[in-house]
Amino acid sequence: MAELGRMIATKQVSPVEVVRAHLDRIAALDSKLRAFITVCADAALESARAAEADLMGGRAVGPLHGVPWAPKDLYSTEGVRTTGGSTILADSVPAADATVVARLARAGAILLGKLNMHEFAYGPEGLNAHYGDTRNPWSADAHRIAGGSSSGSGAAVAAGLTPGSLGSDTGGSIRIPASLCGITGLKPTYGRASRAGVLPLAWSMDHVGPMTRSARDCALMLSAIAGYDPADATSSVLPVPDYTAALTGDVKGLRVGLLRAHFTDAAASDVRAAVEAAAKQLERAGAVVDEVNLMHVAHVAAASAAIVASEALAYHAAWLRSRPLDYQADVRERLRLGAFVTGAHYVRSQQVRALVRREVDEALARRDVLLAPATPLTAPVLGERETTLGDGPSDVRAALLRCARPFNFSGHPACAAPCGFTAGGLPIGVQVVGRPFDEATVLRVVDAYQRITDWHTRRPAIA
Amino acid sequence: MLARMEISVEWLKRAAALAGFDWSDADLEPIRPAVARLLESLERLEQLPLAEVEPTTQYRVI
Repeated sequence: MAELGRMIATKQVSPVEVVRAHLDRIAALDSKLRAFITVCADAALESARAAEADLMGGRAVGPLHGVPWAPKDLYSTEGVRTTGGSTILADSVPAADATVVARLARAGAILLGKLNMHEFAYGPEGLNAHYGDTRNPWSADAHRIAGGSSSGSGAAVAAGLTPGSLGSDTGGSIRIPASLCGITGLKPTYGRASRAGVLPLAWSMDHVGPMTRSARDCALMLSAIAGYDPADATSSVLPVPDYTAALTGDVKGLRVGLLRAHFTDAAASDVRAAVEAAAKQLERAGAVVDEVNLMHVAHVAAASAAIVASEALAYHAAWLRSRPLDYQADVRERLRLGAFVTGAHYVRSQQVRALVRREVDEALARRDVLLAPATPLTAPVLGERETTLGDGPSDVRAALLRCARPFNFSGHPACAAPCGFTAGGLPIGVQVVGRPFDEATVLRVVDAYQRITDWHTRRPAIA
Repeated sequence: MLARMEISVEWLKRAAALAGFDWSDADLEPIRPAVARLLESLERLEQLPLAEVEPTTQYRVI
């Protein structure tokens, strides 16, 4: 996105050409990938012509002027349907943009369309019975999942259908598809970017953030969307730094904690080796790496499941009563679980949350960032239920959530980025976790890593 | 907490009714194992040192 923005601003390429090229690519590949729910071809071309006229007329342009993008289909978009990946909202057309969508429009970005997702964001596989299951572009013929819930975002960015997207992340839904699709995805600190106008899964766990091909592009998008929004009571009033200015390429002296138990040590062997190699590369670049364990993180799965199930049921209760058969089966069943979580369970889970947050804060008091797999496995085959991790068998859903969900629970910023490939050619993702509101350091580390490796530049054969 | 009791479909129906949902046996049987697992895992949270820990009620809104 940064490179496209530069080329457009210097008139090396026209916004119309850029948008048309992406629309052509969507037309050629999306029937296979099923990444898009809605394509806004005419509106995108119209916006591109207006952007070109602004540029040629010498009018001021934003950093993303003329650069196309596409959000997960749970961001409200004025005049463009916002389905949440459901049939329940299949004809829902918002009257206004979500705050972050409006901010990207002000920065000059052009909306290409809306991206597929697990229905109502309630699943890490990225499956959708209504609009089709998004396929992983690294193995489209083998029908591997893209990961979810922001599956369309992961697949579309990896396959070059869009240079950037906004996903949402309640238990890893930005970082899981980023890991499985070989792209870079940032879940900012809770409160850093407004959730206003974004369909909720669980209000206290939902985060919005960019999914792109590099840390630099994530920094560019985050700079555009971050900051206080009176429409979101949980958004922070802290000033927004220039995230791109933080990308110095220098990690000398930075203290990096490699998360061992539950994370790296529990990953499949090829993932573990790639994450350990990433730690070594950062060490060679001057970072000081040690190892760290989080004792209470094993309880995150139960406590976050109780919180998400309760909050999701509260949002969906009316539809679950009136239109239960309009939900896809797995989502309907997950929503029903919320009816059996008591108030005492919910509060106990929030106590665990405080405990885990404190533990992560303590680990980061002596370190600048933590390092872990983004997912402990690579992209499973569609329909695969069981897998084997470094500490034994696991169901696929739990495995996908395992390394990412603790930082939804704690609220810390976390960025997933590619750190290698399996022998079979599937991407492996590493995760960098930072202090609250220190996305700048997280992005600095990922960017520095991407300057000394080329994993993030690789493209699937489909692309 | 309820996790140690046998989770039957009948129990689920009563609990669902308390929450305001009128679900059939066919609705509930598929989720019975998942409910049992969830309640068992929540029961394990009782073993954590939480007596002095206040629940999270507000997030890092600065």
